[in-house]
Amino acid sequence: MTWIRGLDRLSLAGLAVLALLVGAALAGTLLGVGGAQDAIVGPRLAPPDGQWPLGTDQLGRSMLPRVLAGIGTTLLLSAVAVAVTATASTLLGLVAGYRGGWVGEVVLRGVDVLYAFPTIVLAILVAAVLGPGRSATLASIVLVTVPLMTRLVKVAAETVARRDFVTSALISGASHRYVLARHVLPNVAGTVAVQGTYALSVGILVEGGLSFLGFGVQPPASSLGALIQQGGIYLLAAPWLLVWPGMVLVAAVLAITVFGDGLRDRLEPRDSRALK
Amino acid sequence: MRLIGWWARRVASAAATLTLVSILIFAASRLMPGGFAEVVLGPFATPEQQAEVSARYGLDRGVVEQYGLWLAAVLRGDLGTSMISGEPVTVEFLLRMPVTVELTLLGVAAAAVIGVPLGIVTAVRAGGRGGAAGRLAGGIGVSVPEFVLGSLVVFVFSRFALGLTIGGYRPLDEDVGANLRSIVLPAAVLAFFAVAVTARTTRDAVMGVLVEPYITAAVARGDSPFTIVVRHVLRNAAMPVLVVLTTITAYLLGGAVIVEYLFNLPGVGSYVVAAVGRRDYAVVQAGVLLAAAVFVVLNMLVDAATGVLDPRLGSAGEAR
Repeated sequence: MTWIRGLDRLSLAGLAVLALLVGAALAGTLLGVGGAQDAIVGPRLAPPDGQWPLGTDQLGRSMLPRVLAGIGTTLLLSAVAVAVTATASTLLGLVAGYRGGWVGEVVLRGVDVLYAFPTIVLAILVAAVLGPGRSATLASIVLVTVPLMTRLVKVAAETVARRDFVTSALISGASHRYVLARHVLPNVAGTVAVQGTYALSVGILVEGGLSFLGFGVQPPASSLGALIQQGGIYLLAAPWLLVWPGMVLVAAVLAITVFGDGLRDRLEPRDSRALK
Repeated sequence: MRLIGWWARRVASAAATLTLVSILIFAASRLMPGGFAEVVLGPFATPEQQAEVSARYGLDRGVVEQYGLWLAAVLRGDLGTSMISGEPVTVEFLLRMPVTVELTLLGVAAAAVIGVPLGIVTAVRAGGRGGAAGRLAGGIGVSVPEFVLGSLVVFVFSRFALGLTIGGYRPLDEDVGANLRSIVLPAAVLAFFAVAVTARTTRDAVMGVLVEPYITAAVARGDSPFTIVVRHVLRNAAMPVLVVLTTITAYLLGGAVIVEYLFNLPGVGSYVVAAVGRRDYAVVQAGVLLAAAVFVVLNMLVDAATGVLDPRLGSAGEAR
């Protein structure tokens, strides 16, 4: 865990907020904090008070467990999608950057094609083909985040492949597999970590946007996007339906973004100074 | 000569990308469950009726043949006919273009006029890894998504009469005042994100330039910060900023789906998304293909600009 020590306060605060959100999601789904998310416990659209800390929704369900479950769904979907993206992009980026040749060209071309689609339209097309729901959300996040990460891994791998230590390893008779595992992969790992962090926040935003338009996670299941979508309907009567999940979503994305910035400064250091 | 060769290669590459996009979007539109006939006739239609509707629009032919016919028509400049309205897709798009173009212009203008100076100032003032305030502000800007900010704006302006309208879009040539009143809020929501992204990118780019030896030399000569920014920083930090402004332009021209939906604006984005639901294939295909074409062409122009801005990269960015 040595990498944590190099992070500045703001990034550590981001990491802490993220840990807090994960903890809250676990407390809600595993320990049942706040009660059952689908039980009708009170009047409809009741404002927050002692009995239901975040108010109740249009069916009289307490918002607290729903928001906690929503955090869980959104973070889990984004995290799984980013794991898929990181694996795929690392493989594709290494192929394109280290091996190059026509295979690399094919990879880059495919990535360019995905890049050319407008983000939300791409996600909606995926949802239309697969049917709205979790798998469509997952696939959308992967397709939206793969192009950028693949390109950046490719650039990083290309730079490493030209370095002297790679050449000397190859001259000493090391196999490509050895060079890839020993020299190239550790040097692109930083790029993958930083881009993976940013991709996580993109994932949360894509889930939110897709569910907001009704193509993502479907009610009665809750995700931050689905809660915000339903909150929008009752906005004038019960603003808390939108405010809580909205605030949590913004906090999650912000925490991940500042953490990613800190991670980038740590792993891809670059001197900077003020102009006085 | 090298320049002509460069352009020829770039145009060929763009054409290849767009061809692949056309195949993908065609495949996606035909892979959607529930075809046009099923959606338009409803659940009580007999198979014969569905077959008749499909035949009328040529949907009974082989998929490859349909794709070939579509591509040939697009290359002739014919984007097809909306199967729902019966109007040419071009006409339908032109009808909705003003909203999209207006939103794009306002968003990009805000990004350039507010975002770029903001990025420069926070970078010059930042110093070291500090400047946490600037970082946090930029972070907040890119963390508030359109659907949250837009919903809050809708809430505030519908609850309290503040003189601006939600929905009720009026074309610019009909009533300038009413048009601006209906477009200011959605444009502001889009601009919020555009400004934040641009400021963040500008800040990074400027901070990267500030460590260069020629900046140290300029400081040693006693040049004022203003002179240094104007003479050295702007040109050398321009590339990433240009790229992000282009990306924002392409993204907004592709259709600000969520904002159009929230503020009930008749733009291109929400039209294409509605067409996905209605299985209006011609509209979906043309909409996505046009958005991709805008993206690809703008990127090509940026690549060309790279060479002009930074001659070290050789004629028209021939470094790679």
